[in-house]
Amino acid sequence: MADPPDGAGPEATGGPWRPASRPAHDAGSSTPGPWLAQGARPADAGSPATAGTTAASSRPTRSVSGGIGATDFFAAQRANRRQTIVLLATLTLIAAALGYLIGLYLDVQVGVSPVVGLASTSGVLGAIGIAAASGIWSGISLAWGDRMVLAMTGGHEVTKDEEQRLFNVVEEMAIAAGQPVPRVFVIEDAAMNAFATGTSSRNAAIGVTRGLLDGLNREELQGVIGHEMGHIANLDTRYMTVVGVTVGLIALISDMILRTMNWGSGRSRDRERGSGGGGAILVIVLVVFALLAPLAAKLVQFAVSRQREYLADATSVQFTRNSAGLISALQKLTQAAHPFPGVSRATQHLFIVNPLRQFGQKALALMATHPATEDRIARLTALGQL
Amino acid sequence: MGVGGWIALGIVVLIILWAISVYNGLVSRRNQTQNAWSQIDVQLKRRHDLIPNLVQVVKDAMGYEQETLKAVIEARNRAVAAHGPAEASTAEAALTAATGKLFALMENYPTLKANENVMQLQEELTATENKISFARQFYNDSVMALNNAVQSFPGNLIAGQFGFTPGQFFDVPDTEKAVPQVKLR
Repeated sequence: MADPPDGAGPEATGGPWRPASRPAHDAGSSTPGPWLAQGARPADAGSPATAGTTAASSRPTRSVSGGIGATDFFAAQRANRRQTIVLLATLTLIAAALGYLIGLYLDVQVGVSPVVGLASTSGVLGAIGIAAASGIWSGISLAWGDRMVLAMTGGHEVTKDEEQRLFNVVEEMAIAAGQPVPRVFVIEDAAMNAFATGTSSRNAAIGVTRGLLDGLNREELQGVIGHEMGHIANLDTRYMTVVGVTVGLIALISDMILRTMNWGSGRSRDRERGSGGGGAILVIVLVVFALLAPLAAKLVQFAVSRQREYLADATSVQFTRNSAGLISALQKLTQAAHPFPGVSRATQHLFIVNPLRQFGQKALALMATHPATEDRIARLTALGQL
Repeated sequence: MGVGGWIALGIVVLIILWAISVYNGLVSRRNQTQNAWSQIDVQLKRRHDLIPNLVQVVKDAMGYEQETLKAVIEARNRAVAAHGPAEASTAEAALTAATGKLFALMENYPTLKANENVMQLQEELTATENKISFARQFYNDSVMALNNAVQSFPGNLIAGQFGFTPGQFFDVPDTEKAVPQVKLR
């Protein structure tokens, strides 16, 4: 493989920031000074020559596209972060509303306060209680989550001696992200997939399957590891842990409500009559809400998950300055994504492509943890063209 | 103190808190920029360390290429000994050219390509070249963040007060864009 892009390449590193760089040059240098800058230059220029068989050779090309489009990675990240905040807020609202309804229902049951207006002490307490419960539960899963995930997926940790290329690529992406090097795990399975876990950059880990290592070239592997490093850099695993816990809590409580209603329907009839029509309406509202809340929460969870996948894709391109590697990897992965031991409903959202689902089915898009691969590729292609 | 007095005090406190957070943000950005610099240095040194190993391993098999091997080692030594930006810049460029030629010649020796040790060293050098590039890229990202913070309003008021200056981007001069074409396949 020859290295076409030399002309455009070296300026690439500086390229993406060109708009901002102009004033910088006028303004003179700060601390780091020019020494290292120039000392390091030749090495960079040299990478295409020495790395003909590897991803390095293609880096300069991507920077050409990055030159103009680079700002869009950051725009994409900002947009995704905003949407995640909105989705998380929606989720918390659902949980709090559920708690409020329960409290209100209890009030009415006991006859403490009739349904006048919306002020209900128990309702507010219920809302706060559920919010606190999800907070505590989140804390516990944040403390233990990474170990649980690593145990569930069945990977084993590898050293640089065992997996030189994989380890090098992880180190490269860690440098590109400015993050500590995460631990590296390999799942001995022919399926092609990868995941990231860890609730901070310090206890982060990246896992890949054996099939992925065998089936991808260095450039594609770089794209996939860049995606996982993107999850770590954006703290996606932390977000998804909290979101997952909240969704689980909503489902649990809704379940409890429905059981109680079913069970106690006979006895509560008298009391409802006593508290007037308001009580009956409240029961209906509560049941309907208990039925719908888990569904709504799940939809929100999946929406958050899909946003995070798009964001990680964009981040990967920001790191590698190359969308071609990730696009080609996603195509391969989607074809070879089949379930393997260690994959379950509990871990499916962690992987770069969902191991349990065949993609390209838009009808089910709302219930998907991952966007359709075509959509991801379309967005990546758009990033590359900017 | 009247209501107006309290409001004025509150505003002053808020401004001080804001100034502190802006200042701390500037310090951490500047430190990150410096750290990114040293990362580039680390990888350059690693490159210098790897090259003699590679030469050692291929030396016997490439008996007829002693000139090239010697040139690589000399270029490497000059790069290690280089002082100052201009000198280092030229030396690293020469080293790149020399290793490029070596890699090209190695393609003529099938035994070398099948050699586990050689493959490992080649992967290491490739990774190191990549890391140098990524370290530079991260450096430039850091500089952009620093410069945005230093130059945009109203942060520039704090930055100017405490002598924060924009960082310098890492551009490569035109002369270095002419990298030798090497066909490895």
